[in-house]
Amino acid sequence: MQELERLKNELKKINAEAAGIRDLPAEKRGDFGREINAKRQAILAQITEAEKAALDVDVQPIDVTAWCEVNEALPDFYGVEMGARHPLMSELDRVVEIYQLMGFDVKESRQLDNEYFMFDSLNFAKEHPARDGYDTFRTEEGLIPPAHTSTMQHRVLKEYRHRLDDGEAIAVVVPGRVFRNEDVDATHEHTFYQCEGVYVSRDCNMGQMLGILQEFFEKYYEQKLNIRTQPGYFPFTEPSLEFMIEKPKALGGKKGDFLEMLGCGMIHPNVLKMAGINPDEYHGFAWGGGIDRLVMLKYGLSDVRYFESGNLNFLREFN
Amino acid sequence: MKISLNWLKKYVDVRVSDEDLIRLIGSRLVEVEGVIDETHKYDNIYIVRVESAERIPETHLTLCSINAGSAPVQVVCGAPNVHEGMLAVWIAPGAIVPASVHEDAPFVIGKRKMQGYESCGMLAGADELDFGDDHSGIVEIDPEMARPGDLLADVFELKDLILEIENKSLTHRPDTFGVIGLAREVAGVLGEKSRETSQNSFGLAQCSRNLLAISLEAPSICERYSAVVLMKHGEMKRKYLTWVDTILAKSGMKPISPVVDATNYLMLLTGQPLHAFDYDKFVAVGGKETPEIKVRLAKAGEKLVLLDDREIELTTNDIVICSGEVPVALAGAMGGKSTEIDENTRNVILESATFSLYNLRKTQMSHGIFSEAITRFTKGQPAYQTLAVAESCAEMLADGFEVVGVADEYPKPAPEIIVNVTRNEINGLLGTDYEKDLIVRTLENVGFEVNVKAGGAGNEMFEILVPKWRTDIHIKEDIIEEVGRLLGYDNIVPAAPLHATAEKNRMFELKHEIRDMMAKFGANEVLTYSFVSEKLLTKVGQDIKDSYKIVNSISPELQYVRQSLVPNLLEKAYMNQKLPVDKFAIYEMNKVYRKSWGMNEEKVPVERMQMGMVIAERKNTGTAYYKAKKYVAKLLAEKNLVVDFVPLKTKTAESVMFEPKRAAEIVGKDGEYYGVVGEFKNSVRNEFKLAEYLAGFELDLDLALEKGSNKKTIFVGKKEKRDLTVTTNDNYVKVVDKIKKVLDESGLAAEITPLGIYQAEGKEEKNISVHLEFENFNDEIMEKLENL
Repeated sequence: MQELERLKNELKKINAEAAGIRDLPAEKRGDFGREINAKRQAILAQITEAEKAALDVDVQPIDVTAWCEVNEALPDFYGVEMGARHPLMSELDRVVEIYQLMGFDVKESRQLDNEYFMFDSLNFAKEHPARDGYDTFRTEEGLIPPAHTSTMQHRVLKEYRHRLDDGEAIAVVVPGRVFRNEDVDATHEHTFYQCEGVYVSRDCNMGQMLGILQEFFEKYYEQKLNIRTQPGYFPFTEPSLEFMIEKPKALGGKKGDFLEMLGCGMIHPNVLKMAGINPDEYHGFAWGGGIDRLVMLKYGLSDVRYFESGNLNFLREFN
Repeated sequence: MKISLNWLKKYVDVRVSDEDLIRLIGSRLVEVEGVIDETHKYDNIYIVRVESAERIPETHLTLCSINAGSAPVQVVCGAPNVHEGMLAVWIAPGAIVPASVHEDAPFVIGKRKMQGYESCGMLAGADELDFGDDHSGIVEIDPEMARPGDLLADVFELKDLILEIENKSLTHRPDTFGVIGLAREVAGVLGEKSRETSQNSFGLAQCSRNLLAISLEAPSICERYSAVVLMKHGEMKRKYLTWVDTILAKSGMKPISPVVDATNYLMLLTGQPLHAFDYDKFVAVGGKETPEIKVRLAKAGEKLVLLDDREIELTTNDIVICSGEVPVALAGAMGGKSTEIDENTRNVILESATFSLYNLRKTQMSHGIFSEAITRFTKGQPAYQTLAVAESCAEMLADGFEVVGVADEYPKPAPEIIVNVTRNEINGLLGTDYEKDLIVRTLENVGFEVNVKAGGAGNEMFEILVPKWRTDIHIKEDIIEEVGRLLGYDNIVPAAPLHATAEKNRMFELKHEIRDMMAKFGANEVLTYSFVSEKLLTKVGQDIKDSYKIVNSISPELQYVRQSLVPNLLEKAYMNQKLPVDKFAIYEMNKVYRKSWGMNEEKVPVERMQMGMVIAERKNTGTAYYKAKKYVAKLLAEKNLVVDFVPLKTKTAESVMFEPKRAAEIVGKDGEYYGVVGEFKNSVRNEFKLAEYLAGFELDLDLALEKGSNKKTIFVGKKEKRDLTVTTNDNYVKVVDKIKKVLDESGLAAEITPLGIYQAEGKEEKNISVHLEFENFNDEIMEKLENL
């Protein structure tokens, strides 16, 4: 409190000093004014800090080891009718569960990574324009908040390649949060969730990949679905394709109404090679797709921005 | 990229409906983003002959009688170039002005009076017809092309569908950035061969070569540079509307001048960008008698004025075209002002070259140039056709220019690429059973030369020569992709999925358990952004220097990687109190990063999975700390984690915002730091404009997972239950410790739960009441306890 008084007096003094500018010759007024102003700003900042500190001075301590305040009732939890899981997270749990039932292990994606895992290890040539398509954010150190869960592919291949030596397959899904530097609107978010799948074995093929994906989507939407593909391009798969499903009737879909759900393809031999897997002996396939879109479709949501809004009027609908 | 379907069909026989064609392009070549239907854009627009044209005195108008194939029609025209006998384009009454068809209110032409004269419809200019923005006069039609009464749309093939394809969808296929290349692929997906399109060669070899000297600093920046010198021998006056004009317009470009239009048209046709220099200006800048073209990297400090009048400072990454030593163009990006073509241009140098896509990509970014040409160059145009395209351009301009010199510098021609792959390898990777002949035909349709060698057990080996325009094919997987794609991935039969046993992800499972528990206790899970503002970090007192900073953030709100979760939750708490939601417990489980944690063995930042919660109520219903503590204690107890809640002493990114007098550190039995629970500093709470009842916690879930278990010790026998009240000056935990000590000494165990704390008014000491449940019991124990 005394400190605050002192600072306020100081400010008065400076203001009085400032009045002296009238007595100075014109050519000196500029420098003088700037100097006084800097002093005044410094004091004002200190006053703000002191006022803030004053707010915390009179706070009464409590017994932090106890379970209630003196003469107050023990607190209760809130009622179950208020609670809710985040729809994106409970659906991500469901997605992961389906893949686990199909034999896939789960590894969660990082949220801050580097150029090597995001691009180099995935067969993107240095300075290649394909890197631009990902609209990545960057930190001062050149780190990258990943723009796709494929940023984990190299790690997954290395971590699980011993399975191949044991005559088994690598089968892993990677859910996680990803980031793209793009403007936000009802269908675009700069922050969203993806799930990646990686499968490597001696004799796997594209037909099996399509089979796994079809099974996944049919389990997720709990009905038979028509699927379709179109050619795509990713430096880390060869061939590359886009996987589409016909919008389920129950969700308002009409015949021929196909939705792009994910990108997929056979893992490029260079990607296998870089992870220490011999592409002449083993093949693999991989896919990655957005979770937000999956969930929006399931619940008929129109605006992706709800997910990160923290708005309880939205979230409590998922009670 | 916009592609006219009519134009495309000139290079490929299409025997399926447009609808099927577009679907097949989508499923076997590239996603079609949209289709612009121009089938009716030019309805009721006719070619007419102006039979008479009389000036209306004291106006700029002309009264015309036109012949549209039947009875004469009267039209008033304001254009200066209208004259008797010309063929013009007439928009009949009731027709829509083509340039306005995509507007909200398309402009319908009617009959109206102008200066007292009735005008029936209008004679159209190029801008009204949507062929560019020339508004200087009306369009004139070549009498050799049409007769009065013909529909404009029939004469110029304007009943068209325009396909829209996103450039980045074809980043890997530079050869499809021209209609010929695209048609070749379309033929492939239709199972046919595209029509032969040999580039015309018309005896340029005999032309003098010494008119031009070309020197390339290195093949790595410019693989090939071809040039043709043209000399003007007649006027190429733009008089008639041409088919090329309509193609440029459909492709999203504008007619400009005969030379520029020819270069643009050929770029759209072949994918090879061209550039035209004014020959005489070029020579003058270089200070020599004949042009000396030099392609090199720019030197630091060099400057260049571009065609758009901008002066740019060149970087040592930029490739420049020089006349002698003087830069005159930014290679692949934009020409320079000093050698610009204008109406006085007599002689022209046509450049047709390829440049390093890597250098050009940086040039594009550093100077902000996004032209059709650089878009193509940055995909990596193949070098094989530069000379042929320059020659085609000379041919297009033959009416006004003759070829007087040719030069071609191609020091290291691209080697032939041969890829070997077996039929089993193709079918094995795709999961198909394609026959030899089908595979061979499919590849040959798009220009591969296939040499079949016998292999064992029907497993033929294909030796495949890659066509010179396919710079993207190097390995057998590339060939397998061609076969799979051209024959349709949809024809691959999905196979039965593979089953094995998966291992569980323990962190995923922990979060799943917490979600279940928290929903049951009325808490709401939220997700918030991983990036926060400097303002938010400052508000809660976190050190900005400990946050990774995003250099290309969308806004200042999203500039730093967050160090903990609670600050975001405080923001969301404010938003929800405003809604208003009276009371809530919101929580998030997500990853956080701090610079001070350093890097892991992979040389990427150490990360932690944390959980944050904020509890807030609009009315003050008591001491919020204890509610937050109840939630975190329950969670920890479920994982069998034994912790103490001790007064705050460690300053961490999560603790700085909490009020030390009303918050506790959560500490494990080995002193490990789980996090913090408590109420917030008043100064922090004020910053967020939150009501007084407010508390929260932040918990290290990685540690909780490492130390926790699902072990349960369950006692099913008879329990003895007692309540106990102790009058004391001690705090709660000391009382509990004393009770435990007494129990220990008596060899007994009991579960102790709090009941309440009562303090009479004016009294120093408190009554602390607890509930005890004994698994074994003796009568003396209560006596001992009551005497504490």
